[in-house]
Amino acid sequence: MSNIHKYILLNILLWMLSIPAAAAEDITVIKADRVDTVTSGVIENGIIIIKDGRITAIASDIEIPDSANIIDASDKTIFPGLVNPISRVGLSSAPSGGAASNPHYRVADELYPHQDVYKRVLQTGFTTLGLVPGRGGAGIAGQGAVIRPVGNKPEEMIITESGLLMINFQANDKTKKVIKGALDSAKNKTSSTDPKVQPLINALQGRIPTYITCSGPGEILHLLKLLEPYKKMKVVLIAGSEQYRVADKLAKKKIPVILPPKLDFEPFTRNRINVPKMLTDAKVKIAFSPRGDGIESHEDFLRAVTDLVKSGLDKEIAKKAITINPAQMLAVDYRLGSLEVGKDANLLVLSGDPLDVGTKIHMVMIEGKIVHKAP
Amino acid sequence: MRKNLQISMAKTTYMVLVMLVTLCTASPLFADESVTAIKGGDLYTITSGIIKNGTVLIEDGKILRIGQNIEIPKNAKVIDARRKVVMPGLVAATAEVGVGGGSKIADSLDPFQHDVSLALASGITTAYVSRGGPSGSNPIGGTNAVIKPTYGDLDNMLVKESVAQNAAFRSWMGKTSFRQNLRKAQAYLQKLDEYTRKKDQKKLQELKKPSGVDTYIRLLKKELPARLRATTAAQILDIVELIDEFGIRVIIEDAIEAWIVAEQIAKHDIRLIITPRNKRRPNKYISAPSGSTLENAAILKKAGVKFAIVPTSPYFQTWGVAGRDLMALPMEAAFAVRGGLDEQTALEAITITAAEIIGVADRVGSLQVGKDADIIILDGHPFHHKTFVEWTLINGKILYDKSKSPYFSHITHND
Repeated sequence: MSNIHKYILLNILLWMLSIPAAAAEDITVIKADRVDTVTSGVIENGIIIIKDGRITAIASDIEIPDSANIIDASDKTIFPGLVNPISRVGLSSAPSGGAASNPHYRVADELYPHQDVYKRVLQTGFTTLGLVPGRGGAGIAGQGAVIRPVGNKPEEMIITESGLLMINFQANDKTKKVIKGALDSAKNKTSSTDPKVQPLINALQGRIPTYITCSGPGEILHLLKLLEPYKKMKVVLIAGSEQYRVADKLAKKKIPVILPPKLDFEPFTRNRINVPKMLTDAKVKIAFSPRGDGIESHEDFLRAVTDLVKSGLDKEIAKKAITINPAQMLAVDYRLGSLEVGKDANLLVLSGDPLDVGTKIHMVMIEGKIVHKAP
Repeated sequence: MRKNLQISMAKTTYMVLVMLVTLCTASPLFADESVTAIKGGDLYTITSGIIKNGTVLIEDGKILRIGQNIEIPKNAKVIDARRKVVMPGLVAATAEVGVGGGSKIADSLDPFQHDVSLALASGITTAYVSRGGPSGSNPIGGTNAVIKPTYGDLDNMLVKESVAQNAAFRSWMGKTSFRQNLRKAQAYLQKLDEYTRKKDQKKLQELKKPSGVDTYIRLLKKELPARLRATTAAQILDIVELIDEFGIRVIIEDAIEAWIVAEQIAKHDIRLIITPRNKRRPNKYISAPSGSTLENAAILKKAGVKFAIVPTSPYFQTWGVAGRDLMALPMEAAFAVRGGLDEQTALEAITITAAEIIGVADRVGSLQVGKDADIIILDGHPFHHKTFVEWTLINGKILYDKSKSPYFSHITHND
């Protein structure tokens, strides 16, 4: 069993323990027009049964328990809650500076619940956020956390406390030295009591994903060279739009990328290019994240993804890129990111297909609880 | 009906077969492309004259053969260069291309920089780049390297690191410090030499190297030239005195008034980097000659000075004044010809001499067997204003094709 599997298993175990046993009659049933599971197709006239916050059944012909609360969505589409794989929503501005190694820094220690911005993010359909240390400043930025944008205490928001390691790469000698030095200090170790080393071990062993930011295709080549000795690392790349120039190399190394949903210009021309399409054509796995942390880019998110689909991006891939793919990149796909039996009931009740223009969000549910209802 | 179908199927099968056979024999897809041949052009070898209607064979990124009547291997990839000029890629002795931030150039090379593709379109295949330099009273500092604009290919970009020591010899503080450090290094080397000769182990062990003299030792041992800027004759004479005292190798950039002291420069074997179009007003307060002249290069050549030519701007730009940056390097050399320099020396100043000055003449700068196949193919004489680069090869690979590139493909001359 690989380390990532062990880690996931442990997470599943913790997750099972964390949810208090609910009363037996706490059952919700959603009757829908269409249930878009993302991972196993669309179920017409689908019914979803939710118990204790989790999906216990999805099908078109199930018997509905008598005591269930029934949500009638018979003219609506059900879609998994959106997952934003890289975000700093609700966090204070990140420190920046010269190349430094701060693997012990944790976003989880800086959460502020009760912020209005979380409510507004929920309204735009995002039910899971991967919060990361800042992108400013080079070196090892610290550990990110996976959260749900609801809850009264930080503990209630957190899904994975030390969910990922974040590195800001730059192609220069100082930054390379800092990153390499830190990683090498944790190489060949299986555990450490040093809070500066343990997260690096987790990343090197592939127990947690490693997010790496860099700015262009040239830097990606430098990065790939630097990463060569660290074979078990689960790298997720966040790079500029010109990364399509090294798409074949990313595909070969099976490195997935996170990018904003937007059409670009081919550099120094006025030719429009669809970078997400170019990357997926080259067999690179992608996930979308809103262009910024402002609420406008969240409100515009599905429209922007729809634009990419209109200009050639495969619609099914686009749907995965806003749900299951980012969940995989955050290593939480065992419990969310698609509508499957056993997974969290994180879902959206929509007026139609999520990637059709004009589709409205009527309801947002996280773990079986209605967290937003359109007026 | 059924018979017809069979016949048509047989026909199709036959056609497919024929097509396959043709593909296998004719298509370059299946050809053995280990050898590339540039055929039928006028070869400006730079170091051994012009070979009319010649052929260059390339293998493993190096020049395999050059000459007339060379047999081309059957499966070679052939570039038709009839009515074209074939010459070594141009060498920019000062450039700003392909490097990001940071103090170590090798760690910040960017093969995807737009300027890298502009360099290829300009026919430049080798460039000297530098980062940082002397600051304050410290007369040396920074780093430099020679790179090739291998677009998209990081592994072949770096040719050589630290080919010279960036230095300054202008302020009195800097000059004093430069001299003091050289003296310190010299004294250390003398003692080291003396004790070694006497085999005095005790004193050798006691001998401590002064701090911060490593670079000066390399300068004194002539392992590395000092590269500095000196525009006026007076500044150049200061450097001449420094060489008289310490015997170091020197490259002077931006030597506008070099023509005034050409003899001394030649005698001290100083290498120059000049810009024929750079102008400087004569100093009205001195009676001796001063200022710039278009004849700078011609006078230097007569005195036997070796120089490279660079334009006023080290950039590759799509803005600004056309012809003043590295996108028109041959034009700058043509201005030296306008001032009386012979064409051969002007060509050398942007190829082999430039390569020599930046320390890579063993690999680039001329069409010679064994050298890197960094070759440009032009549609006319390099100094003609209408001439464009049609193909640029680095290490035997075509990295620029005018007809397929957006920069100049639409420009054609009909006469």
